[in-house]
Amino acid sequence: MKYLLSLVTALALGVLAVAANAAEPVRIGYSIAKTGLFSQAAPSQITAYELWASQVNAAGGLDVAGEQRPVELVWYDDESDPAKAAQIYEKLISDDGVDLLLAPWGTPHHLNVAGVVESHGFPMVGNTAASVAIREVQPGNIWFPTSAIPDKIGTELAALAKSANVTSVAIIANVLPFAQENLQFLVPALEAQGIEVKVNESYPPDISDMTALLTRIKSSGVDGVIALSYPADSFLYMGQAKELGIDQPFQFLLVGPTIAAFQGAFGEVANGIVTLGHWSPHQAAWPKGKAFFDAYVEANGMAPDYLDSALAYMSCEILQQAVAVAGLDRDKLREAISSSTFDTINGPVRFEGVENVVTPTAFLQLQGGDMHLVWPAEAATSQYQPR
Amino acid sequence: MKEITRNWPFLGCLLVLAGAGIATPHLFGAYWTLVALNLAMWIALTQSWTLFSGMTGYISLGHVVFYGIGAYVVVATFKTVPLWISVPMGGVVAALFALIVALPVLRVRGPYFVILTFGVAELVKFIILNIETGLGKSSRLLFGAPGAQTLLYVMICLAIAASGLTLFAKVSRFGRGLTAIREDETAAETVGIPVARYKVIAFAASAAIPGMVGGLMALRSTYFEVLQVFNPIVSFTIVTMAIIGGSGDARGPLFGAAFMVGLSELLWANAPRLYMILLGLFLVGFVVFAPSGLVGLLARRGRETSA
Repeated sequence: MKYLLSLVTALALGVLAVAANAAEPVRIGYSIAKTGLFSQAAPSQITAYELWASQVNAAGGLDVAGEQRPVELVWYDDESDPAKAAQIYEKLISDDGVDLLLAPWGTPHHLNVAGVVESHGFPMVGNTAASVAIREVQPGNIWFPTSAIPDKIGTELAALAKSANVTSVAIIANVLPFAQENLQFLVPALEAQGIEVKVNESYPPDISDMTALLTRIKSSGVDGVIALSYPADSFLYMGQAKELGIDQPFQFLLVGPTIAAFQGAFGEVANGIVTLGHWSPHQAAWPKGKAFFDAYVEANGMAPDYLDSALAYMSCEILQQAVAVAGLDRDKLREAISSSTFDTINGPVRFEGVENVVTPTAFLQLQGGDMHLVWPAEAATSQYQPR
Repeated sequence: MKEITRNWPFLGCLLVLAGAGIATPHLFGAYWTLVALNLAMWIALTQSWTLFSGMTGYISLGHVVFYGIGAYVVVATFKTVPLWISVPMGGVVAALFALIVALPVLRVRGPYFVILTFGVAELVKFIILNIETGLGKSSRLLFGAPGAQTLLYVMICLAIAASGLTLFAKVSRFGRGLTAIREDETAAETVGIPVARYKVIAFAASAAIPGMVGGLMALRSTYFEVLQVFNPIVSFTIVTMAIIGGSGDARGPLFGAAFMVGLSELLWANAPRLYMILLGLFLVGFVVFAPSGLVGLLARRGRETSA
């Protein structure tokens, strides 16, 4: 009887605990470009957030310094407007009183929100932002896990091109900030490696025809093409390069090929394209990577974006591990994020200032319908193969 | 003066709005301060647009160019020139730019003028984008700008100034000249109105405040990117607000801006797509059924109730 009574009590306590948990979720806020200019890019990030939240809830909730609580995502559409994003974070913090924050999509949005989180002392782990300008942000409230910072990209890309026996390149660059920042660091780095830049042209962000640029590249006799492109122009490049027979063995596109739709659209044609990205599920040293890839494919029916989805999920993992130690206290949380080493799908991550100092700047190559890290050697999952 | 005092309901309304705006940071907190800042910004911009386009009938679809120029002046001189100089300087540079382009631009009328203003705004956007690229400054950070409350108070002053300017222009000899230009430019010239001078002055006057507004709004963001401050959506929104409010005089922009900021606040969080659809419907509805805007509708209602 006594045994039965204690069992009933335990059960009742269990039910109560579950009820208490259900009543008090950890509310995590973010704004995202659901409509507007960036609405094509933002889903890679939203799906990663949703996957993480469902995994956490399925596992019994978020560990808040020892207490398990379910998570609830609170989000608003920022209409792709960075100023609106800042306004939304003000609302999330002041009006909605969320417990934690996740990042919006894109560099302008991150850097606009940086001012808001700084004024509230509210920690936010960023993800899809990359610019040398991030180093001007006061450390302590926002962190950038990406290793795709333009000055490092320039040096590493030039080194990769050199090792791929490239002697001369044609560069075409979008005039938007990320591409131009890359251009600024890439040209001197290529020259330092002894690689001749035979073509260096910038093009407008809404370009709809690259024929003239590509014809120039074709007649220039270079053995490498570097397109500092955004997703829409990467698609344009790939389609038109095929039509015009651009057959250089080394072809690099800045942003775009990591999206599943890119490989879906071009298949074999895109084989051998090199692009920016520091994560791959094939890296055995990062066992969480494969698990994330499989769970993402199961949930969404397609591969994650190797850049944005991976970064978005990493930012959730970092937040999760920091909350497990520090709870929801903002000061303790900031301290934990600033000083800990995190175990993520991209291997260990540690911040110095606002920057991730562990993950190397790396490049991916499309090989046989799969994406492999080909640079640097210590992170590579396959050898670089000329097209 | 008599004509200005006849506008006491408008002036009263303006003062109440200004008072509410000043109280917002203390009563409703940081988020609503930003909403109030937005409202004051749209009032200032739409009033400035009305001063020129509403009165002369020359529809400018490129007013964002003045906003962008003002923003660029403030950002380019950030931390080197004090803000109390750089923000007004943004207005001066915008007005000077208006003066320079006015003579060639104001030679064309109707749809050609509309397209030309849009084209000028895009041209300036890409010139500045290329300058920034050439300087290796593809983006700039603006930490240490004044808080939203300060920006709001200055913006309220600009909204009042823009409203006052439009009201004053409307009741003055200058404004009647502009209205005559709208009704029949050739006839206006025949009766001795200095058409070219009036148009140029109105164009420059309608550029100055948007220049300062742009400078202030650049300070609200910690990140500056050329494409954002020259976003054509700003020009489109100004025209939409003027149409919905009723673009003939200073009352229209007040109603138009309040209506659209209110609608946006009601809908964006829960139904962002519905907001854009409703906006389109309202615009079509007003143009077809109520071309004199909210002001016209309210005036008609007023006459019906008093009759």
